[in-house]
Amino acid sequence: MEFGWSPEQSQHRARVRALLARELPADWDDIAVHGPGSDAQTAFSKIFCKKLANEGLLISHWPREYGGNDMTVWDQFIMGEELWAAGEPRGPQYMNVNWIGPVLMRYGNAAQKAEYFPQIASGSVIWCQGFSEPSAGSDLASLRTRADKVEGGYLVNGAKVWTSYAGLATHCFLLARTASAGKGAIVILLLDMASPGVQVKQIPALIGEGDIHEVFFTDVFVPAQNLLGEEGQAWEIITFALQNERIGIPRYAFSRRMLDRAAEKLKADGRFENPVVRDRAGRALALCEAARMMVYRVVHQRATQAPQDAYGNLARWAIIQADHAVNDFMTEFMPEGLLGEDQMQIAHHQRAIAAGIASGAAEIQLNLAARRYLDLPSEPRRGL
Amino acid sequence: MDYDFTEDQAAILGGLEQLIGSLNIEPPKDAVFSAYSQPLDDELTAGGYLDITSQEGFGLLDGALIVEQLAQLPVSVEAATSVLIAPVFLEDTTRRPVAILAGALTKPARFLPMAKTLLADIGDDLLRIEIPEGAVEEVATLFAYPYGRLKNPENLPRVSLGSAQLPTFRRRWRIAIAVESSGLMQSALNLVLEHVKTRQQFGRPIGSFQAIQHRLVMAAELGQAVRWLGLRAAWSDSESDAAIAATFAQDAIPRFCTDLHQFCGAMGLTLEFPLHHWTYRLRALLGELGGSSAQAIAAADATWGQK
Repeated sequence: MEFGWSPEQSQHRARVRALLARELPADWDDIAVHGPGSDAQTAFSKIFCKKLANEGLLISHWPREYGGNDMTVWDQFIMGEELWAAGEPRGPQYMNVNWIGPVLMRYGNAAQKAEYFPQIASGSVIWCQGFSEPSAGSDLASLRTRADKVEGGYLVNGAKVWTSYAGLATHCFLLARTASAGKGAIVILLLDMASPGVQVKQIPALIGEGDIHEVFFTDVFVPAQNLLGEEGQAWEIITFALQNERIGIPRYAFSRRMLDRAAEKLKADGRFENPVVRDRAGRALALCEAARMMVYRVVHQRATQAPQDAYGNLARWAIIQADHAVNDFMTEFMPEGLLGEDQMQIAHHQRAIAAGIASGAAEIQLNLAARRYLDLPSEPRRGL
Repeated sequence: MDYDFTEDQAAILGGLEQLIGSLNIEPPKDAVFSAYSQPLDDELTAGGYLDITSQEGFGLLDGALIVEQLAQLPVSVEAATSVLIAPVFLEDTTRRPVAILAGALTKPARFLPMAKTLLADIGDDLLRIEIPEGAVEEVATLFAYPYGRLKNPENLPRVSLGSAQLPTFRRRWRIAIAVESSGLMQSALNLVLEHVKTRQQFGRPIGSFQAIQHRLVMAAELGQAVRWLGLRAAWSDSESDAAIAATFAQDAIPRFCTDLHQFCGAMGLTLEFPLHHWTYRLRALLGELGGSSAQAIAAADATWGQK
């Protein structure tokens, strides 16, 4: 047991930081303020991800057979930590490399890999995830979007909601069902967002421009070759995808950066001499570092190929606490930031208020951890 | 970054487990507020566990792992100070148990009834005081540690270690608070998990109610965070890591203890049910070194500086 970095890991972190210092434009904060799904950040992601690809860093954690460099799990995570702390210049493309790619590696067929991997590796495509629906949020299995079998493929009808990045997405990782009930009837379709019958409508929201959308599907034809895995295998694939997604974002890194920034501002203003301010800052700091250490524990599990348990769900809870604590601290002691004085604070606020909702509601994390980490008995089903 | 034990660590903790097993330590059957295990103290001393940090190839993290494991027991033993703090300040480490105190020398301190040495942070100096027989009066308390108070501290000879030693003393104390809290939390949570899985109400285990499950997961998360922050602080021995770990631990203790007792109902209020042996040690640690606000301010100062 030890909690330090090897010289190679420190060098890798320094390399990522140097790249960020070199490649992020002077107006990066103005770009990043609107969030990863905004037009500006999505457009920038295509420039930045190409540079990452040229440096061999975009998919370097992928196996060599898929164009990667077999980068270690820790090096991948270090890069994600630095990029997220900087405001995630990969924009929505972090999803491509963190979980869409790995899901395709495990469950995609040869043709799908041949089609999608070069696009992801070049940093030129945007994926969105077509999961949530008006009546299927946390209860994903009750989704209603239909994928009726027709000659040569599926005809999709229905609607998705809260879909991040859909406005500029080129592809959708779409969940739909072939029959009226049951997890077994769900299929995953790799949908071209330019398909006729796809309509995207942005939802104005507290969390920023272009972040969430409604997506409507009216008789959208999806060729059979765009089915991921087998019919009946979707739930297994989703579970695998969510494992990669839920700890894919080191949110605490951005919160910690914002807290460091807040402390410097408060010091400059003379307000940090107030012990109440330092007390609250110290508590928020402890929550950020707690989230970091718990997420590292999950990364360690991955790095050592230990069996996955529900520790990731526990770590998600820690991340949510950290995001909220830093946001609450800044809102209480630096309200001027939300009054137009600090665009990055607004950006952090917009991410933090979604921390317990996006990527699986906090309560779902608690449910999963209760059953799989604490081994507590399930609630009896109604009527039993 | 490696969260697994090294072979040496696994061997030491395995040996400690064997030692503990050989003593058949059970929660006290009689209704007592605190139980100190002198047999365990003797065995730890004889086995060299309390000197671990001075042995070649071992360090503070290894000592912290020992302290954490010992804190899981339903009886107390003075180990955290002997292992993590005293080696820096005692010329004769055999003069233990060691009590620690912050503030006036008349304040009650943990382990003072059996202590042979007291280390006292009096604000502008760190004092080392050898405790003669009969110098301490016991203090009755709900806290599940033995507490005592010096009868006439002004009459006791003392060694001034100087104010320069205070940062190290406080840093190590903070690490000790976090690491000991971690062990206490693990055992308390395990006991309550066992209880909620077997205790039936409304025809089902109370641990199947979502309202209870969520708060138990939150308690588990607190315990895990305390653990990793505490062990990281022991590994780095840095001011900020130590203060962060102690902040989190002391901030978590009230919620953790309140919820765990809540889920055990009236049974959790009895001395027959052993939960208090852990939660009332945690509650004792809550107020050490000025409490969570003092640690949080120390964490902020160590991380960002005051001005």
